[in-house]
Amino acid sequence: MNKQLEHSFVTQLEENQNIVHKICRLYTNDSDAHNDLFQEITIQLWRAYPKFRGDSKFSTWMYRVALNTAITLYRKSKRSIKTQDYEGVSFKISSVPYDDTAEQQLKLMYSAVKDLNDIDKALVFLYLEDKNYREISETLGITEVNARVKMNRIKEKLRTIINP
Amino acid sequence: MDQLELLKKQWQSREQELPKLTYDDIYKMLLKKSSSIVKWIFYISIAEIIFWTLLAFFVPESSRKFSDDIGLHNILIGVNVVNYSIFGVFIFLFYRNYRKISTTDSIKELMRNILQTRKTVKYFVVYNITACIILIIGINIFYYLNQDIVFKFMIEDYGIASISQEKFMNIFFLIQILFGIVMIVFIILFYRIVYGILMRKLNKNYKELKKIEM
Repeated sequence: MNKQLEHSFVTQLEENQNIVHKICRLYTNDSDAHNDLFQEITIQLWRAYPKFRGDSKFSTWMYRVALNTAITLYRKSKRSIKTQDYEGVSFKISSVPYDDTAEQQLKLMYSAVKDLNDIDKALVFLYLEDKNYREISETLGITEVNARVKMNRIKEKLRTIINP
Repeated sequence: MDQLELLKKQWQSREQELPKLTYDDIYKMLLKKSSSIVKWIFYISIAEIIFWTLLAFFVPESSRKFSDDIGLHNILIGVNVVNYSIFGVFIFLFYRNYRKISTTDSIKELMRNILQTRKTVKYFVVYNITACIILIIGINIFYYLNQDIVFKFMIEDYGIASISQEKFMNIFFLIQILFGIVMIVFIILFYRIVYGILMRKLNKNYKELKKIEM
């Protein structure tokens, strides 16, 4: 195996691993599943790496392969029993002054996002990552207009869950 | 402010809470095996081809002799040639689909490619079941039209004891029909279960994506 290719791949993935962790956290409910998905994404990234030409940023390319894996290729996510997710519960607001109701609302919002279906979750994830609609539409393979319409619907849906 | 906007603000600042893997941790992962759905579809389709091929070898010698005796030899060779040519085409299609699947495509494109692969598998299954049914029906029609020869060689090749021809033929066709039905039901059930499990999530998500476009 090409050592140099391996080295550059692992280095770049190490630098950008947060992206993968965030996807794992959103798509799994416990640390075992998290690690499992992380590994599968790593394998898929490595497999696709020779085709990565660097015409987009490494991280942009990563979003695509990682979400592909979480949504399409990975099968195990539904097998575990759905439990209240610890990470979600312990979600903290670090910069806003401590406010019980605000924190409560954020927790609620986070668990509402986690409860969305795989596709909606991917849209929200890219939105939270501050991706524009062009990038979102390219990653999912839908048109920009559709991505925008869909995102607005999801926002509406989330709003009604939080403020019934 | 909207809660989603608040969540977005917090989203990036939470990064220090995420796990941190070392270079070595990640390096070790490269050596692990993938468990992706594509791999399983490919493996199962290869297993299917092997299964159908092996099945042909398990036809007992007496049955082969019997086929030869009643004059089915050339017909069966013809059937085999056609069958294996079609298998060859399917192997080529499986391989082409497998190569075409690339994780760098958009999610929808990737799903479409996987479902396309699945469709090839489906055609393969449909072909096998149809071929099976046609063969069973065809051979039984042949048996029916040539009852005298069938009875004569059944006694010669299998040493079936004295029983009237009419009675024998009735039992014979009953067994043929029952066996055929059981076999076909078994195959259909098998595919339903295997691919049902494998494709459930993918199908659901693909429908979800299609819905966005309506």
